[in-house]
Amino acid sequence: MQRKALQLFGIAVILAMVLGACAPAAPQAAKKQLPSEIVVGVVQPLTGDFAVFGKEGRIGAELAIQDINAAGGIKSMGGLKLKAAVEDAGNTPDTATLATQDMISKNHPVAILGEYISRFVMAASEVTDRNKVIMIADALVPQITQMGRQYLFRPGPTASDHGALAYHFVMDTAKANGVKINSIATLNEDSANGEANTLGATQAALQNKTTIVMSQEYPYNITDATQIVQKLKAANPDVVIHTPYFNDAIVFGKAFKEVGWYPMFIAGAGACGYVDPDSIKGLGDAAEGISMTYSYNPAKNTPQNKKFVAEYKAKYGVIPTEGAGMNYYDAMVLYEALEYSGTHYPDDPLNPDNLRASFLALDLKSGPAEEVYPSNEIKFTPTGDNQFPGVIVMQVQKGQPVVVYPPDQAEAKPIWPNPHYKGS
Amino acid sequence: MHRHLLTRKNLLILGGLVVAMLLPLALSSNQYVMVLMTTVLIYAVLASAWNIIGGMAGQLDLAAAAYLGLGAFTTGTLLIRWNITPWVGMIAGGVIATAIALLIGFPLFGFKIKELWYALSSSAMVVVMQSIFMMWTAVGGATERYLPANGSPWYSLRFNSYTPYYYIMFVILVIVLWVNFRIRYSKLGYSLLALGEDEDAVEVLGVNSQSAKLKALLIYAFICGVVGGLYACIYSYIHPSFFDTNMSMEIAILGIVGGMGFIYGPALAAILMVSFREFLRANLGSEMAGLYLSVYAIILILIALFQPRGIAPLIERGIKKIRSYSEERRHGRAADLNPQ
Repeated sequence: MQRKALQLFGIAVILAMVLGACAPAAPQAAKKQLPSEIVVGVVQPLTGDFAVFGKEGRIGAELAIQDINAAGGIKSMGGLKLKAAVEDAGNTPDTATLATQDMISKNHPVAILGEYISRFVMAASEVTDRNKVIMIADALVPQITQMGRQYLFRPGPTASDHGALAYHFVMDTAKANGVKINSIATLNEDSANGEANTLGATQAALQNKTTIVMSQEYPYNITDATQIVQKLKAANPDVVIHTPYFNDAIVFGKAFKEVGWYPMFIAGAGACGYVDPDSIKGLGDAAEGISMTYSYNPAKNTPQNKKFVAEYKAKYGVIPTEGAGMNYYDAMVLYEALEYSGTHYPDDPLNPDNLRASFLALDLKSGPAEEVYPSNEIKFTPTGDNQFPGVIVMQVQKGQPVVVYPPDQAEAKPIWPNPHYKGS
Repeated sequence: MHRHLLTRKNLLILGGLVVAMLLPLALSSNQYVMVLMTTVLIYAVLASAWNIIGGMAGQLDLAAAAYLGLGAFTTGTLLIRWNITPWVGMIAGGVIATAIALLIGFPLFGFKIKELWYALSSSAMVVVMQSIFMMWTAVGGATERYLPANGSPWYSLRFNSYTPYYYIMFVILVIVLWVNFRIRYSKLGYSLLALGEDEDAVEVLGVNSQSAKLKALLIYAFICGVVGGLYACIYSYIHPSFFDTNMSMEIAILGIVGGMGFIYGPALAAILMVSFREFLRANLGSEMAGLYLSVYAIILILIALFQPRGIAPLIERGIKKIRSYSEERRHGRAADLNPQ
């Protein structure tokens, strides 16, 4: 039996090789010509654990593409219009890989937007790099741009930028209120993003010699946080710097209320947990006074941003969320790169290498992308990071997320201390 | 010998093998199909391995992802730390998965934990592994670790196309099916099948059920560990999220849908169900998020309702019908020729 099976397999291999040798060689690729429209891939997790921000991101990207087309498309390519193709990236590396490859095979996009979970960015950018397709990623984890990917760009800030800003915001605000902060505690969900945020905050704290009395990691799908809050109560830090995802922000918000203990201030970092409209709805009064760092500034006073905020509000009744904002400026950065490529590489502007060179050549100090971006300049490093990352802080004030920091971009003054704080 | 080799059944298998090996040549320009077929093969191998412990021995094992993850972490860590090729890593991963399976399986089967309790314990193992690797920052931790791609592609098993992965997975599938076949018609196979039906009766007959089940578990764990090593190379990183209870569940479902104990059933179920799920995701995913999962679930429920023994018995019945029909015709013709 064994020998027979082996013989069969051997015959199959030889037959396959002979038949394979007879196969005709692949035809040469035809000469490039501009298509009738430029396809932009939106590959977002629309189902599963990460769907909340995925759906918001999709809306942002689609609005941006709509606005670009309404403003006349890509002018340097004769007003060529953009078209969004959407695909669900699902919940696992295999669905993220399949979705990215399917998007490329089916729609031939010039770029893919939207992946924001770092491990899916890794799996998907393996595919985009292989196929030479630009990927504009939103994951905050610093490492994703350090893997030698050639066609990967991240306009947004990194998690360390978020963590550090959360720390500086707290210190500055305390100082302005005449309070000295002696100790902080850090909390984060146990993802790469959570760790990187805490690391950013920790480094900033160490540089400024602030004592860290407690540092706690917990699984992102935690269902009860009262024990951790009890532990915090015992450690009694002045400030808690917390990097939640989405559900865990609600779990912690409720736990603080249940235990009845609040630090002087709760500052969120890195993910939009506490100030997402859905979390504010879920937490009610418990969300009041909690701040969160944000990779997008909905209050930025520029024509393009005002337009985006108005459109988003008209459609969904709330100001754009972080996911929506990031995807909006991602698409705008792509627009700028396409314009540049059309001007500087008129022979073949959509060639991936020309497009890559265009991204690297961008130095945006004005224009639609910069008008929506939280800092005042966008310029990429050779590895694809933004040299001028922008982060702002929002705080829940009377049930609404309001920009409170940095001062030159703020809508209102931060409320200090946390309204539930009872003094120590 | 050669006359025996070229029976109709063997020719069919031969044809299937040749087609499977030629497919990439016809389709390699469409990388999506290659990714899809590679993914399908991963599930086909895992479901076929599950068939040994689940289908034959009748133990509802839900720990496939635990062994897969162990294989992935072993392979990844060896490559990242000591630049040891994943070819070695895969085998090492299989060995470590087997060792852990032995550690878990020995007491479980020793204390005669079975049925629901076995399912729960094995499922818990996936969660435990995930927690361990989440905390064990020397090899795991929350930040994913990326596999380096230095050296030749065949050394680090990192290719610019999915075609080589497809072939590697295909060879593994053939081997796993062959292992299934060997076990099915060995003493171990008969003991396992009988065990799956009625454990007490088999014990009375003098079969050592603990050792039989343990052997099945070890073989299954080894295969999952090897596949895990390849899994890490394909996706280019390792992360504790590889210890995924959903994936374990899906593999068991594929094994059950395929037909418990039928050698080709689970592989067939993987080919049909995984491609079907992916077809739904690619075509419905952007229209209405989540719709494809509902459709997939409904199909599963329908199979459970109307074909509770799986797809394979259905096909078996079909083949039997065709055979009896052709036999009837042959007999009929013989009767016609016979002047009475």
